[in-house]
Order: sequence, then structure tokens, then C-alpha cells
Amino acid sequence: MPTFQTVPCVNINDEFVDVVSIDVKQGEFVNSGDIVATVETDKSMIDVVAEQDGYVLRVDCEPGQKIRVGAVMFWLGATRDEAIPEETKDTSSTASAVRQPTAKARAMLKELDIDPARVPASGERLSVADIETWLSKGGKPGKAAVSSQTAIRREDAPTVAGDLRELSPEAAGMLHTVAWHRDFAASAYLEVEYDPKPWEERAAAYAAEHKLMLSPLLPLMAFRLAELGRERPLINSTIVNGQRFQYTPVNIGFTVQAGSMLYLTVVRDTQDMDAAQFIGALGEVQRHAMAHKLPPQEASGATLSFSSMARWNVSRHTPILPPQTALIIAHAAPKNSEKAVLGATYDHRVLTGFDVAQVLLALSRPA
Amino acid sequence: MNLNPDEIKAAIRNKVIELAKALDMDASDITDDDILPATGLLDSGAILELVVWFEASYDFRIKQEDMNIDNLGSINAMTNFLLSSKPA
Repeated sequence: MPTFQTVPCVNINDEFVDVVSIDVKQGEFVNSGDIVATVETDKSMIDVVAEQDGYVLRVDCEPGQKIRVGAVMFWLGATRDEAIPEETKDTSSTASAVRQPTAKARAMLKELDIDPARVPASGERLSVADIETWLSKGGKPGKAAVSSQTAIRREDAPTVAGDLRELSPEAAGMLHTVAWHRDFAASAYLEVEYDPKPWEERAAAYAAEHKLMLSPLLPLMAFRLAELGRERPLINSTIVNGQRFQYTPVNIGFTVQAGSMLYLTVVRDTQDMDAAQFIGALGEVQRHAMAHKLPPQEASGATLSFSSMARWNVSRHTPILPPQTALIIAHAAPKNSEKAVLGATYDHRVLTGFDVAQVLLALSRPA
Repeated sequence: MNLNPDEIKAAIRNKVIELAKALDMDASDITDDDILPATGLLDSGAILELVVWFEASYDFRIKQEDMNIDNLGSINAMTNFLLSSKPA
């Protein structure tokens, strides 16, 4: 599917940049990182690089033009002749994210030092009411940079005595995860009650047959989730810049508490595994986590996740969505022998409550 | 590294008792032949910790396919498995 690339934000207060040069032609193939154009503001000149590989389908600007930050510069496609979608008025798309402010709004933005790209517009133009709504919902004026990464919010240090300390890599990773959930996902939660006995019986039989040391209950449920990820691709996708990104593999994320550290371990390419292979692979990854020796490929890349707090008799929890995923299952301790809760945190930009309810019902019993 | 069987068993037993205590369970009466997953004293997380501790303490690697009751199911089984894994 064609993708577009927009005018970058060079300096936080600039609404427009001047196009100095366009270094590609329609039909030309570019690699990620190739310089495709040069733009200039009052303060600096920067090279615009291609954000991904692809054929230039259309160039929407020209040298000498003054162009708004956030406007579309190029369309890229996997082939030369991909059709560019018709423009829509969808205000959630990146291309239309920066609406031209009214005169009063422009004055307010300048006075409060707010980047207009941070304020959603309710209509064709960004208004004072839009800014006031954004502020009332916690938007903070000031020099916060907007980037393609999760926005880093600035705050004052507490007034109580103390000192700032660097986060460990694991803690920084958790912060990034939580920040993505907060800033990108439209998170929601759903749960169903179910009878845990069929799963417990299936796990006991499997453990006896294979003489397992560890209970296979959670791995079997996680494997069933992986199967559902293949059967229902929507739950194995995410939203990127207003478009759905459909993952090719089903990489299952599985939470492991190792001492004071919480890891999201990842078993990759589960679509190529049977139950025994998955359980073996998950066992290996869990041991690596317990030893605090997770290699990077086992600590990243989850596309669909499973979390359980049953070990601590937690009967309900609402986990945070791992970055760029649409669903994480929340398994909990049974309330009694006949009733347990199976929940899910999900990204409402991708999934509806109906979608998630169907998954939970399918997961609540062995296939 | 001490590969005396009795001392290995004692170390494993102490670790089992320690892990069980963290789960509010008392494993002080456990025998060398009790099947650890069947005792209910350790959950899967604690068994994982036991295995990771076992590998680190005796500097050997347990293959995933060897993670079964026959090889690691009891204190005796763990001891025998360790000794068979080490060069004579």
C-alpha cells in the first residue's frame, strides 16, 4: 500500500519551511536513508531522507515553494504503478494533522509557545476552542519537541528533597512501553468469566503425557492465542500513522517476573510451530529471563501478548499494551473452582469490543 | 566445585526450602524422592528459579528437551542428572 512522507518539523516554532531542492523524480527507486530533498527555515537547512525503501509515486512539492510542516512531500510505493489513495478529510491521518490555525489561534499558540502539530483540530482550521480543549485535557504549553517518537513530556522536579537518577535499561524500556500506551493507543479493557476446569484438565493431561516439570497451562493458552493470531489477523496488527500495519509473523510476548524485574519475553515466528515446539521455545525464553540473560531478539518484537498474575492470586489486572500491539491477554487466578476471569487490554483504534470478546470466548476453552 | 552427592542433595534441598518459604510453604519434610512438581510446594515460577539456580551453581547447561520429571523431578533425580552430565 502506498505511504506518504511529510515535511519534517525542523524547528519547534516554524509552521512552514522553504523547499530548497527536490532530489528525486517520479518513478525513481529510493532506499531508506537516501536524501530526497532539502528544506530550509530561518535558522537551518536540513536534508530530508527517505524513511523507507520504495518507488517515488508522486512529488507534491517543488523547489522554491513554502510548504507547511506536516504536509505531504512524497508518496512512495512498493511498485512504480501503485495507485495513490484519494485524499480524505480524515483528521487522524498524518498529512492533515497540522490544520492551519485561525488568526486568534495563531496568536494563542505563540503566546503559550505551543507547537500546532500537538493540538488536534476539530474542523478545517485549528481554533482557540481546540487549543482550550487540548489544554483542559492535560496538554502542556512549552518547548516540547514533536517527533515521530513518543513525545517526551517535561515536568518540574518535586519540591521535596531528593535527587535525579538514571534509569536502568529495563526501567527505561518499561517507561517507553507505558508512554507508548499513553500516547498512541486508544486503550480499552474487556473481560469474560469462564470455567477454568477444561483448561486445567487439558494442561494436566499434557503434563502427564510429556512428563513436564512445569505446568503447561499458561504456555498452552498462549499457544492458543498464537493460533488465534493466525486465524484472526486483525488482532496481530497495529496502527501506524493512520494506516493498519499487518504483522507477517505472530510473535508472542509473554510476561515473566524474574526477581524484581518484569520482562516481556518474546517467542518469534510461532506460526511455524506446533504446541510442543512452542512450549519448548517458551521454556527456553523463560529460563533466559530468570537468569537475566535475555538476548535482544527474545526481549523485543512482540506482536500479540499474554500476561498472567495468577501466581500471586491476583484475580483481575489490566496490563499495559506493549508498543505497537493491539491486544494483550490478562490471565488471572480463579475466583473459585468454577469461575475465573480472562481479560484483555486492547487498542480501540484496531479492535472493537466485539472483536475482543470473540477472542476471549475462543481462548476461554481449549480448541 | 564440590560434586559430592550428599552435599549436592543438601544444597538442592535447602534451595527448595528457600523457594517454598517465599510462597508461604513449608518444605522441611521433603524427601529426596518426592516428585517436586507434584508436592504442590513449588509453583512453575519457583521450579524455573530452581533450575536456573541449579545450572548456575554447578556451571552446566540443561537442554530444554531434558527439562522433564525423569531428569529433574526429584532431589535424587537432579543429583544423578548433574553427576551424569559432568565428566568423570
